[in-house]
Formats: sequence, structure tokens, C-alpha cells
Amino acid sequence: MSTPPPVGRVVATELKPATPHQFHFWTARESPVGIGAIVRVDAPGRTVLGIVTDGFAYADLDRPIHDVIGAEGDPALAGQQPTERTEIRLYTAAVLRQVPEQPLQPVPLGTVFLADDADVSIALRMDAFLAGAQPTGIPIGVYAAGGLEAPIYLDADFLLGPEAAHLNITGVSGLATKTSAVQFLLSSIFQTFPAHRGTVAAVCFNVKGPDLCFLDQPADLPEEDRRLYARLGVAPEPFANVQYYAPYKADGVNLNTLRTHEALSGNTVPLIWGLREVLDYAEVLLNRDDVDAKAGALIDFLKERVVGREFHDITLSERPFEVRSFADLEDFFRRIFEFLEVQARGAEIWRTHHVATIRKVRNRLGNISLRAKGLVTDDGQPSDLPWGKFEDRSLHVVDVAGLDPLVQDLVFARLVSQLREHLERRDLGVDHVVVFVDELNKYAPADGQDTYVRRMLLDLSERGRYLGLVLFSAQQFRSQVLRRVVGNAGTALFGRMDMDELATPGYGILSPATRAKLAALPKGELMVRHPHFTQPLFVRFPRPAALTGRLGVERFPPATDVAFGAAVARQLRALDASITLARLEPVIEGRREEDVRRALHTTRRVRPDNVLAFFTAQLGKRVEREVTERRGVAPLKRTGGDPYA
Amino acid sequence: MSGTAVGGPEPWPGVVAFLDGTQRYEVMAYAGSSPVVVAEIGAAVLERRNRHLHVATVARRRLLIARPEVLLELGETAAGHEAVALPEDGPAHPVHDFVLARREVDRARGRLEVAIGHRYREISDGWLIVDGTLSESPQWAADPRMLGICKSHATLPFAGTDLEAYLRLPAGSRSPVFQPAGHEVAPVCSWALRLWPWQGKDLLHGLIRVEAAPTLETVAHADQLSRWLLAERAPVSTPDPRWDRLLYGIRAVEEYLRASGSR
Repeated sequence: MSTPPPVGRVVATELKPATPHQFHFWTARESPVGIGAIVRVDAPGRTVLGIVTDGFAYADLDRPIHDVIGAEGDPALAGQQPTERTEIRLYTAAVLRQVPEQPLQPVPLGTVFLADDADVSIALRMDAFLAGAQPTGIPIGVYAAGGLEAPIYLDADFLLGPEAAHLNITGVSGLATKTSAVQFLLSSIFQTFPAHRGTVAAVCFNVKGPDLCFLDQPADLPEEDRRLYARLGVAPEPFANVQYYAPYKADGVNLNTLRTHEALSGNTVPLIWGLREVLDYAEVLLNRDDVDAKAGALIDFLKERVVGREFHDITLSERPFEVRSFADLEDFFRRIFEFLEVQARGAEIWRTHHVATIRKVRNRLGNISLRAKGLVTDDGQPSDLPWGKFEDRSLHVVDVAGLDPLVQDLVFARLVSQLREHLERRDLGVDHVVVFVDELNKYAPADGQDTYVRRMLLDLSERGRYLGLVLFSAQQFRSQVLRRVVGNAGTALFGRMDMDELATPGYGILSPATRAKLAALPKGELMVRHPHFTQPLFVRFPRPAALTGRLGVERFPPATDVAFGAAVARQLRALDASITLARLEPVIEGRREEDVRRALHTTRRVRPDNVLAFFTAQLGKRVEREVTERRGVAPLKRTGGDPYA
Repeated sequence: MSGTAVGGPEPWPGVVAFLDGTQRYEVMAYAGSSPVVVAEIGAAVLERRNRHLHVATVARRRLLIARPEVLLELGETAAGHEAVALPEDGPAHPVHDFVLARREVDRARGRLEVAIGHRYREISDGWLIVDGTLSESPQWAADPRMLGICKSHATLPFAGTDLEAYLRLPAGSRSPVFQPAGHEVAPVCSWALRLWPWQGKDLLHGLIRVEAAPTLETVAHADQLSRWLLAERAPVSTPDPRWDRLLYGIRAVEEYLRASGSR
């Protein structure tokens, strides 16, 4: 194999010396070197690998005025000068690695070459985790420069733990980079995460539109993207094991998601929680003014003594209470007030709790059931993620895009807390879980109130890696996110950035040229920071192999909201394709809607063989309306005259 | 004498080359009171094609200049250098000998420039512009496609009102063609050309003296050649203090020789 020609030569002057961490080199005017290119400096006894961070061009012109004089003030003449001025292309490069690494010395004045595949691997210290009996490389994209193209890998131990963990991605919206990059990376993880490092699953929160609603559907990929997939050793396929979760709309039967096309209903299930599930995270929904010490004590009392168990209080009722739903809770409160007003003759204290506190807690909890209608159920039977049964390489997408922001917080807080608890107990079903959260600046803002979700994200970012709970987060403006949350992300990806954002102090370490490149980064390109890489690196990644939200909605238009009966029929049809509205109508005619909803949820949860029969049985015996014969009332006996007359 | 307006600048047709030489010298040691001077001389031709200058030919020499007996003593120490003996026409004197050594360097550089010019002529018959006089070589002086550009005006061809008119040529004008005195071995034609306006500056600002082969054709084409030279004003040769008279191509040769020479 012939040695490629050199592209430049290191130069060092007193003003621009070569140091152990930076050097300068010149190239011919026409050269493949550009910002982000990896180069190799060869000198006797030492090889240095560096990445180009800045570039300069200048001529032997002393001052601009002399160009004006030469052209006699006419810009048109300036281009007609008989001789082109001597021009220099000078580049600054940051050292990625020196071989040998000790003693660490200034970069020698050697010849500069473009790096090849092997050089890139050494420069980024990928040889440490790609070689050996148990490699841990996860493909992230390709580095391309001067006709060379090298796959870039992240170290799974530093992406999913335990060495480091978490990933954060920043970039302006609408350039199909953040979501696409995370989709590709998840796909890459699922296909290449080494078995000797355990099992992995992912939970994604779809927070806007149809972004993540079609991850199980194949996309039409251009040939160039397929070539990139092949180069990276990743199959261009959508996710094979995906489960979607979405709460109902307020009607309790139409799902609150854009993934309502009947063809996709097989793996789209309702997300329904009961009072127990919600009450454990009441703190998420109630602000500090709501939950003072007194209210907190009452809520704790309800959680510990009342909800989900038998509660005896002879003063309220002769029969024990079984509070399992918001309706039961409302009945419980009503009994307390009746007791205080009637039996206790206007007393203000019930079991050390003041009536005002009880009224306040009743109002706030009652509000939750209103705000989260569709998510919370009155029958007390939840439909939840498969806790304890997470499968390896399974993807769980929770669609919260249509929910009230506060309810989104509730969903997020509870699911992440559950993941954490199960991972602590090692009974989730997998060893690692990636949680993907978009719009992180909303959940963990740098400024503003310290919320439950923010505290939880901080805890997750600081301690999650020990548990295998890994946060993949994205936002438009990294500077607007709590510094400790993004700071704990071992790996950071940067798409095209807004100039205002790049002007914030967090980007001060980047050279002006790197910042300029970030401000104009094309689709499908990212800058990567990873613990093994001593400098940020630009990579290109292929489009995701799954259908994008926009195309998904076009190909699988969401079903329109239908009347109650038709919605129930559609949901049952997901379990038994033979069920039609015509068959169902006689079954539900005259039934109360809450009874139908309860039967539907139970049927969906149990998934019986004979769906319609089970559903009908759940409705219970029909209580026929008793039609009694109208009986007349005997007329008053007339006395025949006005008695007052 | 009256000046002639030559017309606007015109780009030089075809290939043009520029020739110049550089020299650097220093006293390395003293043998008794006589200095031992080392020098590096270089000469090169840069050829312009498609508005870019490329090295067409280059030569360098290292000189060791001293009195003959000193050169004998140095022996092997002088390896890699061309030994040049100083004349022994008097007792050794540090200043006088150094002046003599400097002259030897000048002469050697002149010879090297001539040699390089001849070498270039063997490979190209294009226009060759030389920094300085063509009288260095009878062949140069007779070459119809060579021009010498003299920036210094130590000797002036006219006197009285003619000299005044000569020194006050307006920008873009030339003097009549004349034959300068003192060039008997290699006679040339010559004329002065004002590249930049002198008003507000020095009388010699922007004034060059052009030398060409002493033929009728040269006289006939003096205006045309002047127009081509006017186009060479740009790019301006700053920051060189002689920028008003130094053609960019000539400066580029100097820069190349300085940058690529040994330290």
C-alpha cells in the first residue's frame, strides 16, 4: 500500500509555538483539511494525532489600504492584478493523543498527514474498548474527511454505565437531528450492546406531536443512508419490540395519542392509574402552598391507613371503608364532613386533622382526578408498564403529548421512580434502562421553581448509573437546563446551534471556527463529546430506519374520535377483529358509561380468548327498568261548598 | 526633454518571469586582524503562469571569504563553502578587508544571477524581467525579451532643465529612450517610467529606469513595454519600503530566496 501524500507541515513561532496540547500547520491552498479533520504528525520517535479546531488564511499584504492602492480604488481592478498574492492556509489543531504518551512533549515540527481508520481509532482511544475479548463499542456515526471515512464508536461502559453514563443532546428544533440521533443511537445500542454487559431496554416519553409514534414502522431509506448503516455494522431496521402507552381522553374510551390508526392498535395500550398510583406522587401535582405540614400529614394518613385497605371508623360508617378510587375517596370525605356537622355538632377536628385542612386536601385531590381525567380511573384497576417483565431490547414509548403539563410531570415522575425502585431491587427484568426525555429545559430548568421532577432528574443524573438507569435527554438550549443535570451526562451531542446559545459561557471552550461550524451544521451531522475523546468530534449518522412522526401520520392517519359505542367497539376490535359496532350495540345499550368503561378496561387487561363474552360478563347482570302501572291518586272528597264561605 | 504618456496599464501577454538574487554575509571570525566572512548568495527565476508564480530555476552558493593564507589554514573547516581569496594589496585591516569581502559577495551574487538567467533562457524564451541593470552580461543586454528594472538613480542621464523634466515625469509617462553612459561593454537602451505619482512625496517616488536591448524594435515598442510594466504596479510590494519601484514579481523572488535559504 502506498503512503498517502502529506497535507501539511507543522510550523511553530515564538508567537504561535507548538505545545503539548496544540500545534499549527500549513497546507497547500487546495487541501482536504477542514475544521474537525483528524491529522497525524509524523516525526522521528513520536507520532501526534490532533483535530483541526481553527483555520486562518492570509496573504503577504501588509495593510488593507495597500490593496486599495494597488487597485487604484476600483474593486473591479483588484481581481485583474497580473499576479496573485502569495497566500497561506494555516490551521490550528488540538492534540488528541501522543504516541508515546510519556514524556509529554510539545508537538514536533513534523510532516502532517490526514488520519486513516487506524489513526482515528488510536486518536480517539477507541482501541481501548474495541480491541480485546470483550469489546464494548456502540456505533454513533462516521467521521469523514478528505475522502476517508471511519466509523466512530462510544464505549458502552461510559454510555450506559457503570463507568460514566447518560447522554445529552442539544440543537435547534426542526432540523431532524435530536430525535433522529436518539432513535439511531437507541437502534445502535439495541443491536450492538454486548451481551456480556447484560440486558437493556428503553422508555421514551413522547412529549410533542407524533415524534416517536411510529418507531416500529420501517422508513424508506436512501441508498446513502443504507451505505452508512453498512459501514457502521447496524441493520437498517425499525425497532422490533415496541410497546406504546397512552392515557385516554376525558371521554375514557378514545386514546389520547396520534397513534390511533387501527392497524397499529395491536401494541398500543391504555395507560391507566388508580388512586393508589396517583396518591403516591401527589407531591408532583400539589405545590408547596398546597402541601403544608398539616395537609402533608393528612395525605400521609390517607396513604398509610385508608387507601387500598379496609378502614374502620364506627363514627363514619358501620361498614369498613374500602377506598380504591377517587369516587370512594370522595365518599369517604363526605362521611367525615357529615360526621363533623351532624354527629359532632359542628366540631372542627377529626382525628387531629382540622376541617379546613380536610377540605383543602379534598379539593386538591379532587382537582387531580379532573385534570388527569383519562389517566386516572375510578375502578381502581391500573393498566401500567410491565413492571418486572421488561424484555431485553424492548422499547416502551409513553405518549404524554396530549396531557396537561402537570399530568405529564406526574406520569414522568411515577414511571422513573418505578424504574428506579425496580432496578434497585433488581427485579425489573433488565439490567439497564435508557430513559429518553425531550424538552429537558422544561423538566429541569436552570432557573425557576425547584420541582419534584427537577429533583428527581438531578438524582437520576447523579446516581442513576450505579443502578443502570440512564438518562438520554434533549433540549434546544443547553444553557437553560440545570447545570448539574447536563454536567453529569458523560456523552454530549450537539446538532446545529443557535448563535445566541453558542455565545453563552458554556461554549467558551470551543474555538470560533468550531462554533461557526456548529451554527451551520447540516442535517445528520453532530458534534460528539465522550469521555474517551479528548476533543469534540464531528460525525455523520444515517437517518433512523423507523418512520418519522410526520410521515407516520400521513401513512397511518389517526382515527377520528368517535361516539362512545364505536370507540368501545374499536378498542375491543384490537383484541378480536370480529367485533363490530352492530354486535356490540345490543350489549351496551342502556348501560351506564362508567360500567362499560370498567368492563372494557378489565377486558383489555385480561385479554380473554372470548372477548365479547368476557366483556358482557364484566358488565354484570342487566338491571331491567321496572315499569310499574300508573296508579291514580284518589280525589279529595268534595264537601260540596266552600268551607270558608 | 519632454515626457510621453504611455497610456493605461495593459496585462502582460503570455508567460513572464522575474529574476533576482539575494546575499547574506557575516564575519565568522578574525584571523589576526583580518576578518573571515561567510556568505550565502542565491538567485532564482520565478515564472508566472495563470497569475501564479512558480520557481523555474534556483541556485545557491556558500562562500568563505578571507585572505589566502587564512583560507589555507582553515583547510577542511571550509568544506561545503566556495573559497574566495581577498586581494593582499596591503596589511590586514578589519574594516578595509570587510569592505573588500562585501564587494566579493556582490560580484559573486551578480555572477550567480547571470548564470541563473542563462539557465532560464535555455529552458524558456519568454519575457524575463531582471532586478537591476542588463549590463551585467552582454548576452542579457542583447536579449530582445529581457528587461532590466533599475530602482536606484545614483547616476542620472540628464542635466539642467532636462533633468528637471526627467525627475518630474507625471505618473504613467516615460522619458525618451536614451543610451546610458558607462555601458560600453554591454550597451543597452533605457528610459525612465513613472509608476506612481510623485507629487507630495519624493521626486524619485515611483520612478524606475527600464533597460532593454539596444534595437530599433525596443525604441518602437517602448510605450507598449511601459504599459505592460504599469500593470505590474499591482499587487503593491508593501511592506517593502521600496514598494513604489519594486515590482511584486521581483519582491516575490527575494522573499522566496530569503524564506528558503539556510539560517
